[in-house]
Amino acid sequence: MASTTQCLASLARLSLRAPARPMAISTIPNFLLPSVATPLVRYASKKSSGGNNNMRKRVVKKKKAYKTFRSYDMTNMDQYSLCDAMRYLRAFEVGSPPTSVKYEVAVKLKTQKNGPVLRNRIRLPFPVKTDTRIAVICPEDSPLALEAQQLGAVAVGEESLFEAIRQGNIQFNKLICHKESEAALKKANVGKLLGPKGLMPSAKTKTLTTDLKGTMQEMIGADEFRERNGVVRLAIGQLGFTPQMLSDNLKAFMGQVKTDMNQIDDSHVKLLDEVVLSSTSGPGFSLNGKFNPSGESLEIGDLESVM
Amino acid sequence: MLTLQKLLTIRNGPGAAILPPDVTRIHMEFAMRMNDGHMGPRKFWRDNLPRLKFWNPAVPMIVNRVKDQSGPATMSIYIRDADADADADANTDVPLSTPTPNSSTTGHSTAPPPAKGERVEVISMKDMHSDTILASLISKTKAVPVLPTPQEQIQMEELENLRQQADVDRARVWKRVEAAKKEAAMMAAARDEAASLKAAM
Repeated sequence: MASTTQCLASLARLSLRAPARPMAISTIPNFLLPSVATPLVRYASKKSSGGNNNMRKRVVKKKKAYKTFRSYDMTNMDQYSLCDAMRYLRAFEVGSPPTSVKYEVAVKLKTQKNGPVLRNRIRLPFPVKTDTRIAVICPEDSPLALEAQQLGAVAVGEESLFEAIRQGNIQFNKLICHKESEAALKKANVGKLLGPKGLMPSAKTKTLTTDLKGTMQEMIGADEFRERNGVVRLAIGQLGFTPQMLSDNLKAFMGQVKTDMNQIDDSHVKLLDEVVLSSTSGPGFSLNGKFNPSGESLEIGDLESVM
Repeated sequence: MLTLQKLLTIRNGPGAAILPPDVTRIHMEFAMRMNDGHMGPRKFWRDNLPRLKFWNPAVPMIVNRVKDQSGPATMSIYIRDADADADADANTDVPLSTPTPNSSTTGHSTAPPPAKGERVEVISMKDMHSDTILASLISKTKAVPVLPTPQEQIQMEELENLRQQADVDRARVWKRVEAAKKEAAMMAAARDEAASLKAAM
């Protein structure tokens, strides 16, 4: 019964103990007094050799260090086909200029945190950048004009474009002329306006061309992408793109990512985890790899209208 | 959960309506900022137009925002008439289709002229509330509002319950945090008082 005696002894000590000296009677309650004024009662403890040993040492649990980025279970994830995701994103971005708003893609990888990262340049089939604003001189409302517009030209036409230039309404910084419209360009007499700006199309600067696609793509250049925190992000299209254009861009990009993944040495395996499509101010949609709309209420042609 | 909520709110709510097939395009023109009666159109564009666009993905909805704050705010609804052929013979200079401009923030995408067989219904949106704009759009086009499906109704109820529970929880936590703050303030004040007393001694 050692514990009882110990308890009794401590009780006895409490009752018998007299203060070392009478305390000054003050109006301030005891607990509010500064700690120096209250008489400290110390009991013997096992560790009494100075310092702050009565503070219990907190055991800080060491976090488990993961070597790979976290990847989640995707079984309950809502995933969308490209056209369904585009329908939502076009609704979220309604009324915004279709060349400045972009579709963006984030490719999440199953990969280690250390080791080499994916980093490359890609020339997409339909260029996305808009800081180069290209105007194309070609016959009005021709298939060429349509092609130029789909490739991202900001202004297309013949007489309408010349008229805009004469009025000083120049919204482009690159000008291309198709060979078919060469005569019209010479007749239009805009050399004095375009020459000082360095915009006058000529064969010497390769801006007088028959291959609109090649010339425009050369002007726009390539996009750079790199992996950060296990995710590769890239602007994949303009809001005005058709589903087919976006799909082509996405396929080209995914192909490039896959070849890059395979080129990395065997000790650092990278696998595809998730592909998420979003837009400049829209939510993200996890893609399921399909293209066609899932319901009957939507047709692909619906997503080709002007934004 | 948040994405679900976002998608639910774009499918349902004011503006979720299916336009009849004779509506070919919608053009809106208003100023960049809300001053001088441009708040209603702005709100309509932000709150209701995405829903309308979701349910009518094929209909071009063009927003042309201009710098001039004092200008008009108009909505042009292009409707293809059923008896288009009869009108078409009357004036042959009207083109079969007119190009629809892209949305613009520089005011360059003015409303296109109506094509052959199209008529334009114009709503002057200046000083109008977005709800009034929506109501007049629906009455002029005879659009059919979309109601949530039973499944969506259940999801919306779940989200609403979550929201209400969040309010309750927030109040509870706020109470606790306030009490802790009050006690800390009292202790600090008392400590200050004690320190000043000690300094005076």
